Amino acid sequence: MATVAVDPLIHHYRRKTPRLSPKLTTAKQSSLNYTRRLLSRGATFCSFKSPLRLAVRAGSTEAALAETSESTDVVFDKTFSLKRTAKVEGKILIRLNSGKDDKKWQLTVGCSLPGKWVLHWGVNYVNDIGSEWDQPPLEMRPPDSITIKDYAIETPLKKSSMALGSDIFYEVKIDFNLNSSITAINFVLKDEDTGAWYQHRGRDFKVPLTDYLQDDGNVVGSKKGFGIWPGALGQLSNMLLNSEGAQYDGEDGTSDLREPTQQKRGLEGFYEEHSIIKESLIDSSVSVSVRRSPETTKNSLHIETDLPGDIVVHWGVCKDEGKRWEIPAEPYPAETIVFKSKAMRTLLQRKDGGPGACGCFTLDDEYVGFLFVLKLDEDTWLNYNGNDFYIPLSNSSGLHTRSRLVESEKNEQQDVLERVESGSLPIPEKTTEANQAGSAYTDEIISEIRNLVSGISSEKSRKTKSKEAQETILQEIEKLAAEAYSIFRTAIPTFSETAISEAEAEVLPVKICSGTGTGFEIVCQGFNWESHRSGKWYLELHKKAAELSSRGFTVVWLPPPTESISPEGYMPKDLYNLNSRYGSIDELKVLVTRFHEVGIKVLGDAVLNHRCAHHKNQNGIWNIFGGRLNWDDRAVVADDPHFQGRGNKSSGDNFHAAPNIDHSQDFVRKDIREWLCWLRNEIGYDGWRLDFVRGFWGGYVKEYIDASEPYFAVGEYWDSLSYTYGEMDHNQDAHRQRIIDWINATNGTAGAFDVTTKGILHSALERCEYWRLSDQKGKPPGVVGWWPSRAVTFIENHDTGSTQGHWRFPGGKEMQGYAYILTHPGTPSVFYDHAFSNYGSEISELISVRNRNKIHCRSTIQITKADRDVYAAMIDEKVAMKIGPGHYEPPSGPQKWSLATEGNDYKVWEAS
Amino acid sequence: MEVSLMASSQANLRGTELCRDRDVLGFCCPNSDLNAQICYGKSKICFSKSIGWPKSPVRLAIKAVSQPEPVMSEKVSGETSTFCRRAKPADGVRLYVGLPLDSVSDCNAINHSRAIMAGLKALKLLGVDGVELPVFWGIAEKEAMGKYEWSGYLALAEMVQKVGLKLHVSLCFHTSKEAKIPLPKWVSDIGKSRPSIFFVDRSGQQYKECLSLAVDDIPVLDGKTPIQVYKEFCESFKNSFSPFMGSTITGISVGLGPDGELRYPSHHHQAKDNRIQGAGEFQCNDENMLNHLKQHAEKLGNPLWGLSGPHDAPRNDQSPLSNFFNENGGSWESPYGDFFLSWYSNLLISHGDRLLSLAASTFSDTSVTLSAKVPLVHSWYRTRSHPSELTAGYYNTVNRDGYEEVVEMFSRNSTKMILPGMDLSDENQPNESLSSPELLLAQITAACRKHNVEVSGQNLMISGSPRGFEQIKKNLSGENAVADLFTYQRMGASFFSPDHFPSFNAFVRSLDQPEVHSDDLPTIQEEAAEPSPGKNLQMQAA
Repeated sequence: MATVAVDPLIHHYRRKTPRLSPKLTTAKQSSLNYTRRLLSRGATFCSFKSPLRLAVRAGSTEAALAETSESTDVVFDKTFSLKRTAKVEGKILIRLNSGKDDKKWQLTVGCSLPGKWVLHWGVNYVNDIGSEWDQPPLEMRPPDSITIKDYAIETPLKKSSMALGSDIFYEVKIDFNLNSSITAINFVLKDEDTGAWYQHRGRDFKVPLTDYLQDDGNVVGSKKGFGIWPGALGQLSNMLLNSEGAQYDGEDGTSDLREPTQQKRGLEGFYEEHSIIKESLIDSSVSVSVRRSPETTKNSLHIETDLPGDIVVHWGVCKDEGKRWEIPAEPYPAETIVFKSKAMRTLLQRKDGGPGACGCFTLDDEYVGFLFVLKLDEDTWLNYNGNDFYIPLSNSSGLHTRSRLVESEKNEQQDVLERVESGSLPIPEKTTEANQAGSAYTDEIISEIRNLVSGISSEKSRKTKSKEAQETILQEIEKLAAEAYSIFRTAIPTFSETAISEAEAEVLPVKICSGTGTGFEIVCQGFNWESHRSGKWYLELHKKAAELSSRGFTVVWLPPPTESISPEGYMPKDLYNLNSRYGSIDELKVLVTRFHEVGIKVLGDAVLNHRCAHHKNQNGIWNIFGGRLNWDDRAVVADDPHFQGRGNKSSGDNFHAAPNIDHSQDFVRKDIREWLCWLRNEIGYDGWRLDFVRGFWGGYVKEYIDASEPYFAVGEYWDSLSYTYGEMDHNQDAHRQRIIDWINATNGTAGAFDVTTKGILHSALERCEYWRLSDQKGKPPGVVGWWPSRAVTFIENHDTGSTQGHWRFPGGKEMQGYAYILTHPGTPSVFYDHAFSNYGSEISELISVRNRNKIHCRSTIQITKADRDVYAAMIDEKVAMKIGPGHYEPPSGPQKWSLATEGNDYKVWEAS
Repeated sequence: MEVSLMASSQANLRGTELCRDRDVLGFCCPNSDLNAQICYGKSKICFSKSIGWPKSPVRLAIKAVSQPEPVMSEKVSGETSTFCRRAKPADGVRLYVGLPLDSVSDCNAINHSRAIMAGLKALKLLGVDGVELPVFWGIAEKEAMGKYEWSGYLALAEMVQKVGLKLHVSLCFHTSKEAKIPLPKWVSDIGKSRPSIFFVDRSGQQYKECLSLAVDDIPVLDGKTPIQVYKEFCESFKNSFSPFMGSTITGISVGLGPDGELRYPSHHHQAKDNRIQGAGEFQCNDENMLNHLKQHAEKLGNPLWGLSGPHDAPRNDQSPLSNFFNENGGSWESPYGDFFLSWYSNLLISHGDRLLSLAASTFSDTSVTLSAKVPLVHSWYRTRSHPSELTAGYYNTVNRDGYEEVVEMFSRNSTKMILPGMDLSDENQPNESLSSPELLLAQITAACRKHNVEVSGQNLMISGSPRGFEQIKKNLSGENAVADLFTYQRMGASFFSPDHFPSFNAFVRSLDQPEVHSDDLPTIQEEAAEPSPGKNLQMQAA
């Protein structure tokens, strides 16, 4: 059997094969997606939220209305456009065969359906990691190929000379040389007419050319189908085609695309066919008119449609707006049966001469509405965008109904527009879809088994079957139990409470304030720009918690937890949805609990400056929010023309990629306060790292911090330093003043990243200008020199370094940077990439020196040397340090200095 | 129309497909936008095609309850419950599993909802009848008196309903140390200024895990008595969960004291090392208890007896069989002892009576079964004085059956009794504690049988050994079956651990299929449609 789950995607082109969670990789999900997608496609023409649920296309509605207003007894007349899907079955043909000599091979992909077919394809090379596509070498590309960015090729299929039976046949041939380092060819088929993509069971078609292809879960059907092709080349009779089976998506892998394999590098040719179903929409319509007879006070309803075949109207009436189906009193129209005392079924009369059918229904005055759906055949039903068709009937309050009707139609037009456009922007839907599909999986199995069981139990001869069924059930139970276990297990606290409290008792009581924590904090930024990739960062970090603790970190800064348009999390959307690319909310809770167990406080990365919208406004601008905080455009600042906010002007700088939140609105602030408190209570966050605080006034931050009472908070106020003629000024007072101003605006309730210090370290280290590290007054030149307790010193973060590298610390000099910040006052923050690199042990060494000597954010510092090639300082008269290639030894005074640690161009001494 | 078949997740699309040959297609229901696709759906989803089973049967079961109406029939709907838990075995035990104590967090969100969902499905497949959900006062009425927040629990009830399991709700007016669930904050705050709302032990330490029963009728909570507050809590619960009452929620138990049990917190200061199992201490040292004792003693003409509890009762770290509890000549056997122990135990019983009659009247208009939990204080049971039971508030000695009155009180309130510890067997008890869970259980259940009080069982601990399950099975099946419902405590990591779950699995299946192989039994429908067996009916008749 050949199985092809045809999955028309509405996406723009795809960069790589979708990274789905393992569960999603089963064919099952893809076929669910399929249905789902069609849904959104089919729904583009009508999607309404209006209470009356009427009306379809804008154009026809208006016409209908104009007409009705003139007639006296026609109280309702409307034509609904219907879209039916017509399916055409065809085949996709794939042939791999060798050419004239052993080294020349040819891959042929064909399609038997008419259409503008394009092969969208790419290759994998030998040393590729992961599943990303690459462009094939030039010589492999057939003529007329177009490159799509740097990873794919699109080649149109041409009408084939070789006819397959009597059908027209389209094909493309790709020639390649076996000696090239290509391991696989990946492709999907695209229909230019409809924009639909056709995949293999929800994934790319993948033709492996070697047997050492990395199976990262992305090889189609690899688990079952990656077997050896039964028989050798040319077994065309063995075509796997079974159109019935093609739809089957059972779990056990009726997975039938056998991947051609080669054993020991002997590539074997193959030929396969996959059935493919192309769907196209066919327009039909149904018109409904209601006439009211003044004498009888009855409504007569007329339905007419141009649909072919026997059309059954499945209908009921309702007495109120609730649209509860009821069965009307007799008499019924001809050809009517009562269906399960819930609804009526009336077969429409065929029209003479031509397709179409019509029917007439007489209804009493007491009913306010007529509900129906159309049944085309046993399996095909047409309804009104997911709802029943609802026709309001005239009664005493008829006039009233009419006016509401008009109003609702106006809204509908908007909605239609919106829906159509959103079709091109499917990203926001993706995650939820994936989640649902995940749970759909088990639900399916359950219902599957349920059916099996109920079926079995109803059979007398269940002897053997029941045993099989039991087996299946037991296996499923085991699977579910294992899933539950894996989640519950990670949530168990594994430490003894008493031990911790004793340890804490030894520490002198310290005054904790949100700007500083205890003052002895050492932060680790617990992620980098790529952490979202695995999809299970929370789990990965979980394993490192104990290590972080043992290395002396007291605070960890976690990535932004909310649902986000960008995978890194900095484009938040639904703030209360904490299932992100880093993991699920449950995993997050488990992680936070784990950090608490090991005595580490957890900072949440709160993105408060901007938020991505769920919906567009009437102008097509994305500025209407959904989710629990369903703000409208009043929550968006007014001074960014991109987003047409109706709020006040921004109280800070604008971030232009997303609607900036107007924090001057009371409702916004109230919601944010509540959200932060929720995060504190629900997740257990101890504090905040506040993203892009340049975007709004620090006074609001104070309010948020007062409300959420964090243990520690730090804001990211990042703007650029002052330069003159391309050279950094020695005096960066203006720069640090801006940061200080922000901290002041928060009333000192939050610290700020010491961007100034990082910038000055850059120049000092890169250009060997260590004199820069002392300001005119002999103090450290960054924020740490002015307000050390509020300065969070750092040398790198996910933006400046990692794979973004917007402002990377001078390479190879990172340890000098850490020798500086880990010995100096302020609260040092270590970047994940550094903490878990070769520098890790040196950093740990510095941290232990800091902790041993109880250096804290307010420690005193005396700069003892700031020359061209060396900088030296003494902290709390207990620790001395130097960085730079120049020579320095701490003077022997009252203290005796012993070397505590040293590395490339840095040394740290302790007083003994 | 078939609304119940639909929900908004994709999963149900398939569910809908399944029922297409038996009923109206789901898309006729008004609130799902998935339905537009019905016309394509079928061809994609194939197993429904290959398995064209007839409609699931509707099963009727007759459940005996000790409510005013003697027999109540309940429709166990066909859609969901036709599972592999086949015929109820001859002894008709229904099996429940407790949900994690912290299922709902103090922010009213569901903890580990994915795990719980998976767990529920597993249980459903296994044929478990329902789950038990502890509903904590400290979560649902956390913020302020009368400010209820049921959303988390409602969501959970919905999950349970969706899976097709029944729900037994335990209303917990106590804390859970294990899950770190406190009393409502406003109650704790009152406790700071009014320490006498809590029990106090002899050394002056407060027991803050539940309110002292001595303040039941004293308006200590901002002008209201705890009984009033409990009542309003129950009312609010009933109203908020009315859609589930009688259908998904089939039983409610009311917490009567520490850990929900009708007892004094006599054991809460158990010695750290469990080598000596103390007898616990009398808890009558708070202001209100002492007042009450004083009045009572004066009324009986012995004012001197009312000054404090027994001065010579051993402390927790002392041998329990000394002084007051001395096996021979201890003052427990003296007139003073009788005076004190009667007073102490009566106070507990009347506390139980107050709460249960409150609950009975609140829930009288629903069809749920009411129950409450009695502890199985089995240590030192094989002594004459039964010191552990005495300190816990059960005046049960070699001379006197202390459970009779308690059971009568349950009977008066038509309340079912929950008995924990059905997994305990005598042979696994440490010898030196002279304990006997089995004998105690037998004593209590005999009293229950006498007074027509039904019994639900629970286990005390999650057991990895098949032995515990054997004991449970012994208590649930055969001639000596003591309970018609058993709640296994409790879902969580150890429950699903590979060390435990397989034995639980085996236990459930062994309950289901006693000796006879399923092939030899009559078909499922026939059996299931029969009224459940004689035992219950007999009890009703008696």
